[in-house]
Amino acid sequence: MEDADRLMAGVRARNAAAFEALYDAYNRLVYGVALRMLGDVAAAEDVTQAVFLKIWSSPDLFVSGNFAGWIVRIARNRALDVLRSKSRTHVELPEQQPDDEPLEDRAFAAIDAARVRSAIKQLPPEQRELIEMGFFGGVTHEELARRTGTPLGTVKTRIRSGLRRLRSALEGMVTV
Amino acid sequence: MNAHDDSMLDSVAVYALGALPPAEANAVRAHLETCAECREEYRQLLPAVSAVGASAEDSEPSPLLKKRIMRQIRPNVGEMKAVRPIVWPAYAVAAACLVVALVTGIMNISLNSELRQNQTQLAQLSAHSAQVTRELALQRTAIADLVAPDSQRFPVQTGEANGEVVRHGSRIYIAMNALPAPPKGKVYQAWTLRTGASTMSPSVTFVPNGNGVAVVPIPVNAKQISAVAVSVEPDGGSKQPTSKPTFVLKLS
Repeated sequence: MEDADRLMAGVRARNAAAFEALYDAYNRLVYGVALRMLGDVAAAEDVTQAVFLKIWSSPDLFVSGNFAGWIVRIARNRALDVLRSKSRTHVELPEQQPDDEPLEDRAFAAIDAARVRSAIKQLPPEQRELIEMGFFGGVTHEELARRTGTPLGTVKTRIRSGLRRLRSALEGMVTV
Repeated sequence: MNAHDDSMLDSVAVYALGALPPAEANAVRAHLETCAECREEYRQLLPAVSAVGASAEDSEPSPLLKKRIMRQIRPNVGEMKAVRPIVWPAYAVAAACLVVALVTGIMNISLNSELRQNQTQLAQLSAHSAQVTRELALQRTAIADLVAPDSQRFPVQTGEANGEVVRHGSRIYIAMNALPAPPKGKVYQAWTLRTGASTMSPSVTFVPNGNGVAVVPIPVNAKQISAVAVSVEPDGGSKQPTSKPTFVLKLS
């Protein structure tokens, strides 16, 4: 995967070739998130198109940090817009990057989606279900509690435990 | 810094996942600003959340999608952010130059005050600076009004001079270009006709700069006047016009 910072510099300079390379590198990621959330090929393609056209028109939205993590959040939030239009309650991910995220940089550079999926499958089912439903379903923790019949406090604790476990698994996969 | 509260850590995780309702998300976001421990927890969990998203990358969109997107961006290739060059009218350029001059003046004033360290002068300079700041604010407002897309513009053409009367909300300006200098001892004077009135009221006097540019805010509620005129009057202005108007413009 080409260096996203370099490609984004090209996009800012209105370089179509850089944009095309960026699309080639990240379209599966954006489309995958949208398709998983929307379950509809046409809607997922619309989201993918919206995300990349937004990057082209407003490249300065991405400041620095891990591009893959950022574009995942953008894709999720755009897909939530579609879900919202169907009058359901959804919550957005913060799109701003933290100042320092070295693990994420390394993790995304080294781990492919299949290995990530494998790591997620290793999570206890009650944690995996909440995390996947919260991320791809875009529902609040209260809705998660209602749907799973789990106390709210337990939902929150399980989400945190699952994310921490997943982080540890990612660390084990990263080679530097 | 806020005291760290372990009970917030679970909420931070739910926030990172994007599963907090907006009100709670705002509260956590505010907490992260001030709590280093929770901020570190958020930073630690974010890669895991991104990985959850990345796990969905197992299919690809139609090749037609790429063609569709590239077709949309190619007409714009080579453009920089400012798609169309903004051609400022001469009077707007003049106004901008005036702003620059004022800013430069403020900087000079500031330097002088530091060098002299004279309390009296500082007080005077402070007062002057406040005045300049007010004038600067007025200039900014004027520039914004002059270029606002929803301003009403009434073209003026008189002799070689041309320009516009620009009305934006309750403010109104005369903006002229190539306006000849008035005869020695004379100035231009603006006149306004209040809606329903039968005679013009005297307003500000002005002279164009060396390039014939004049941008003149008229101190009147623009919503209450129906016409603007300009005439050449003796220095100091007149209570009644003493010459044939340079132009008379109905605002309708």
